[in-house]
Amino acid sequence: MHANSLTPEGRRLLDRRRFLGDAGRGLGGAALAWLLARDGLLAAGDGRPPPLRPAIRPDAPFAARPAHFPARARRALVIFCSGAVSHVDTWDWKPELFRRHGQPMPGAEGLITFQGEQGSLTRSPYEFKPRGQSGKRISDLLPHLAELADEMCFVHSMTARSNTHGPAENQMSTGFTLEGFPSMGAWVSYALGTEAEDLPAFVAIPDPRGVPQTGPSNWASGFLPAVFQGTAFNAAKPPANLAPPPGSPPAAEAATRRFLGLLNARHLERFPGDSELGARIASYELAAKMQLSVPEVSDLSRESPLTLRLYGADDPDPVRAGFARNCILARRLLERGVRFVQLFNGAYAMGEGVGNWDGHKKLKEQYDVHGPILDVPAAALLRDLKARGLLEDTVVLWTTEFGRMPTFQKGASGRDHNPKGFTVWLAGAGVKRGFSHGATDDFGYRAVEDVTTIYDLHATLLHLLGLDHERLTYYHNGLERRLTDVHGRVIAQILA
Amino acid sequence: MRTHRYGSQPAPLLPLALAAVGLLAPRARAADFAGGVRPILAAKCFRCHGPEVQKGRLRLDVKARALRGGLSGPAIVPGRSDESLAYRYVAGLDPDVRMPPSGGPLPAADVAALKAWIDEGAPWPEGLDPPDAAEAPVPWSFEPIRRPAPPEVRSCGWPRGPIDRFVLARLEPAGLDPSPEADRAIWIRRLTLDLHGLLPTPEEVAELLRDDSPDACERLVDRLLASPRHGERWARHWLDVVRFAETHGFEMNQPRESAWPYRDYVICALNEDRPYDRFVQEQLAGDLVGEDAATGFIVGGAWDQVKSPDPGLTAEQRMNELHDMASTTGTAFLGLTVGCARCHHHKFDPVSQRDYYGLQAVFAGVEHGEREVSVPDGAEREARGRALGALEAELARLRADLWKLEPQASLDASSAPSRPPVSPLGNTDRFAAIEARLVRFTVLKTSSLEPCLDELEVFTASDPPRNAALASAGAKARSSSDFPGSPLHKLEHLNDGLYGNGRSWISAEPGRGWVEVELLEPVAIDRVLWARDREGKYQDRLALEYRIEVAREPGAWKVVATSADRLLPGANAAPAPGPASGPAARARELELEVARLRARPKAYAGRFVQPGPTHRLHRGEPAQVREAVAPGAIAALGEPLGLRADAPEGERRMALARWIAHPRNPLAARVISNRLWQHHLGEGIVATPDDFGSNGAPPSNPEFLDWLASELVARGWSLKALHREVVLSSAYRQSSAPRPEAVAVDASSRLLWRFPPRRVEAELIRDCMLQASGALDLRMGGPGFSAFEPNDNYVRVYEPKRAFGPADWRRMVYMTKVRMQQDGTFGAFDCPDAGQACPRRTRSTTALQSLSLFNSAFVLEQARLLAARLEREAGAETRGQVRRAFALLLQRAPDPVEEAAAADLVAAHGLEALCRALFNSSELLFVS
Repeated sequence: MHANSLTPEGRRLLDRRRFLGDAGRGLGGAALAWLLARDGLLAAGDGRPPPLRPAIRPDAPFAARPAHFPARARRALVIFCSGAVSHVDTWDWKPELFRRHGQPMPGAEGLITFQGEQGSLTRSPYEFKPRGQSGKRISDLLPHLAELADEMCFVHSMTARSNTHGPAENQMSTGFTLEGFPSMGAWVSYALGTEAEDLPAFVAIPDPRGVPQTGPSNWASGFLPAVFQGTAFNAAKPPANLAPPPGSPPAAEAATRRFLGLLNARHLERFPGDSELGARIASYELAAKMQLSVPEVSDLSRESPLTLRLYGADDPDPVRAGFARNCILARRLLERGVRFVQLFNGAYAMGEGVGNWDGHKKLKEQYDVHGPILDVPAAALLRDLKARGLLEDTVVLWTTEFGRMPTFQKGASGRDHNPKGFTVWLAGAGVKRGFSHGATDDFGYRAVEDVTTIYDLHATLLHLLGLDHERLTYYHNGLERRLTDVHGRVIAQILA
Repeated sequence: MRTHRYGSQPAPLLPLALAAVGLLAPRARAADFAGGVRPILAAKCFRCHGPEVQKGRLRLDVKARALRGGLSGPAIVPGRSDESLAYRYVAGLDPDVRMPPSGGPLPAADVAALKAWIDEGAPWPEGLDPPDAAEAPVPWSFEPIRRPAPPEVRSCGWPRGPIDRFVLARLEPAGLDPSPEADRAIWIRRLTLDLHGLLPTPEEVAELLRDDSPDACERLVDRLLASPRHGERWARHWLDVVRFAETHGFEMNQPRESAWPYRDYVICALNEDRPYDRFVQEQLAGDLVGEDAATGFIVGGAWDQVKSPDPGLTAEQRMNELHDMASTTGTAFLGLTVGCARCHHHKFDPVSQRDYYGLQAVFAGVEHGEREVSVPDGAEREARGRALGALEAELARLRADLWKLEPQASLDASSAPSRPPVSPLGNTDRFAAIEARLVRFTVLKTSSLEPCLDELEVFTASDPPRNAALASAGAKARSSSDFPGSPLHKLEHLNDGLYGNGRSWISAEPGRGWVEVELLEPVAIDRVLWARDREGKYQDRLALEYRIEVAREPGAWKVVATSADRLLPGANAAPAPGPASGPAARARELELEVARLRARPKAYAGRFVQPGPTHRLHRGEPAQVREAVAPGAIAALGEPLGLRADAPEGERRMALARWIAHPRNPLAARVISNRLWQHHLGEGIVATPDDFGSNGAPPSNPEFLDWLASELVARGWSLKALHREVVLSSAYRQSSAPRPEAVAVDASSRLLWRFPPRRVEAELIRDCMLQASGALDLRMGGPGFSAFEPNDNYVRVYEPKRAFGPADWRRMVYMTKVRMQQDGTFGAFDCPDAGQACPRRTRSTTALQSLSLFNSAFVLEQARLLAARLEREAGAETRGQVRRAFALLLQRAPDPVEEAAAADLVAAHGLEALCRALFNSSELLFVS
């Protein structure tokens, strides 16, 4: 009982074979037990293939789990630009919009969008130039990212269900416009666990300026077990409660842990084999490891000056440098095998369009600020992932909640919300390089060719990670819930 | 209710008096159905017994449904037209019922064709059903509750009552014995955690151990159930189900300041043991039965505050609100996933799209928002009125002289500022009496944002003075601009005589704006009173620089006062901003008290308006409007509500409430009994507490569930009676220790061969720590406390508090529930996010939980407080301190090994280290 470390003691008492052999014994396993029992019932029910349930070890809920089928990507990075990036000022070149600048948009008489009436068609203030081997035209707003056009796989025909930020961010991150559904990162860590032993499976990296509009909904676990929620931290702000109490000497920490270990071990002796109790002991072990591993992964001091410069981490502007440091953190997490990283660019606390991409009134003035914050660091991140070979088995998704109008708002110099057509792009494992899929109409108003939905995007992302979006389910309030609700099909055309 | 119609009780068939039996019908070919009989049915019957409407639950366009018949009995009995109601009614063989009900009888040839077809065996080729006809089976839970007799069991020594016999009847066939009774110390810990969400005190444990009277346990249970702590604990279970939160959710997620009365209502109703049928009724129609705050249930869900001129978005938002109301009602009271029928008929249960939109129509007149709620009873109202009268009289006396103490405004630019700085609570600008018709207040600079004035008062130089600016005195207000689209901030609030942010004017110009009051007639005035918020809640938007001008005639403005001679707010040279005592301070106190008493309390309990028609929406799309639907309930489950499409708003909710809580509705009692069992024993008899449909888990012990449900109804829907029955049962009193032979058979303890141990919820962990440290503040009711730093961004930013004080040490049920944001310390323990209904919390074990308990400022502070308590109560000796700590937290003495290790820890690192470790111990966190 006076063993110096909790670990061997805990390990002996845990008896892993029992966990695996009898998930139902533990209290945490109780839910699992009836879920499994229900499978037969479901299979008989509606003719669909039955759900494929991850076998989750209570003592190691993040243990790597097999995919449904061989995966193209082992991990995912989502760069989420909050506030709705204008596709017609970035990725979606519309020569007709330039040509008919100042004219009313045909068929849009009396059109009322989110903030009201529309003015005329308005060309982008940024020039579009051919980039890379593919000659893809991308605007000057994001010149460094534009140079990587040959790595990108554009989906120009994305559509969203809502034209207001809250529900739309919810949909992009959770599949549902309503509150309370699990985020895509939570689904993925539920399905696959992680390859990083001492780190969370799903890390959300908030922008240096704050959190996006719907904040933690973007990385919530919803009705999935809380263990699968995203852990939010960035290069400047560690996870809450990670650090030991200030002033507490290491010896006191160790002695307190030891005494706790003794109490918990004796308690477990009274409930031998109880997996929930075992899992608690294991969770303290993981917590102790995270107290070392998270500061280590967040410590950028070992990065070379060159790397710091490439990302722009030495920029005198604290926001640019802050986002650059977050990009380096993202790479370091992916390098260590974290399954899902969601990197946010833009925050809402500062007001409409000030700290994010919501350019209603003064688009150029605001985008001139936001463009460089995103551009240099994100481009460096993509290059760095490629240089280190990580792009081979990491899928990158750049996205935003919806697009913006090709017109300016009446009486303003910016664009209103537009969920009818916008652009996202992917890069890396499993997707075509230098490829464009789908298209909006002549002005960029509405997706007209190979129209895709967020459900399709999620189905595709899961597919790349080796998961069948129709079979990755969790029973909640009477339904087998999915990330893709009852919709979605894999966008086969963009798969490499 | 006119007749039974619940479940599928057979309706009596009229005795057959006809000798039609045996008559040979003309031969008809099977093909005749499609070409002959079906068209007759389609023309004459489908309107009421077809795809959209199924009167009497009869549907004739789908083979299986037609052959099964409806509520009155079998419509078509193959080979027996004389027993087939479809034939009897159209042939006029029954004196009471004739079909079709209008449009005259069927032609004789059609009647003959129908008879011939039935008598030939009603041949009905496959493949004629409409595509949407795949019919959901009627789930077990729709059947009526039949009160079963408790089963016979072999072991007659163990059962204390019917519950134990039901449990034992499952254990015996599995070859399992129940576990021995737990120690009394363990039982009282389990019981107190369960019923109160708190720990028993060492004294309470000792008292129970001493008490050897035969009814010691019964008296303890009665005492616990009578304590207000019980309602606080069990309200949380219900608040989870109804997605209660005190912010709106979505992008802005602003506070819902007056949502707390609903929480207080639930706590109070449970403490008073409100009969459950009444509890249902109050939450759906409390405005009609004297429980105003209870309708907070209906509007408890998320509400998108972001509004838009886009009609498509507006329609979608409204549909989402109604969806939340209808589906939460189905989930909470019926355990049905009615929300699934928004876009199409329910795939698994007999809930049609019409049923769904009928439910929506019930709520179509409910809008999100707060409304004034009645002061509970006459005596209280009267007392309040008396108090108000006295205060107002005193205030009037004070005010009559108070203003004379204010210094006069000076327009001399050379003199140093001497008047008090501007205050958000109120400012007086005195000047030499001047005759004026127009008074203008121009704001030149604010502390932030657009300026706000809650009231502008202009006093006459008469004796007694009067406020000539009041709209009721004939004055008219004008402004440079008004804050757009806010019901709180309007120009008419400037001179309405009502104070506070909720009745204020704000301009539409950041930092500036003016208001002007045109008095009824020119009159001598000598002072202007104005404030940002006399109720003292808001300090922003304060006019820092301003100018007051008056005019006898339009255009002839004369400046009478400015801010130039006021001291700067917070300037060091400033004298005290106002006397802390004396008449001014007293007046200030009185003003706040009067405002508090005068305001009728408001609750976020919805606003009710008479709605227009509700339509079914094809695929749930607001743009795809189909036929109108009257307010209704679930057709397959009971009699229709019988409401017209234009039924008065309140009647709709009342009718639904009665329908749900009807003793013959089998779901209301089953669902709540199951919830109750689930919270006591960790797992419901139906493991899917919000899905009693075909896709949910079947009941593990259906007879037992029905016994519990019927017992609840028989006891007058008293939840406390059922609690008492459960916690005093032998099943509940069992030890939780695992037994290898039982584990081998039933590892998850579903058969209840032991009391299933489990981790307790976040609220219990927090409350028990506070209780043990002695910090727990048991004040009940009212607005909650916040877990987050103050913030007033329009998209609210929730940054967890880093420092805590006594204001944070109330029970967690009073922690202001922020939607989609968790408490920084305890939220990680699977607190629901109030986005969707949460009938059953997940129970995960995470490293973040461990970090929260091991490192958080909150827990470390409580460890310090507990250490101080131990020193206070157990003296200076470590042994006593350790024993006291174990007794407070674990209700037991340490064993020698623990005691020695604890002593070592205390010796080396202090008592706090021991408290910190104990707060993290599995034993504290688990109920066993």
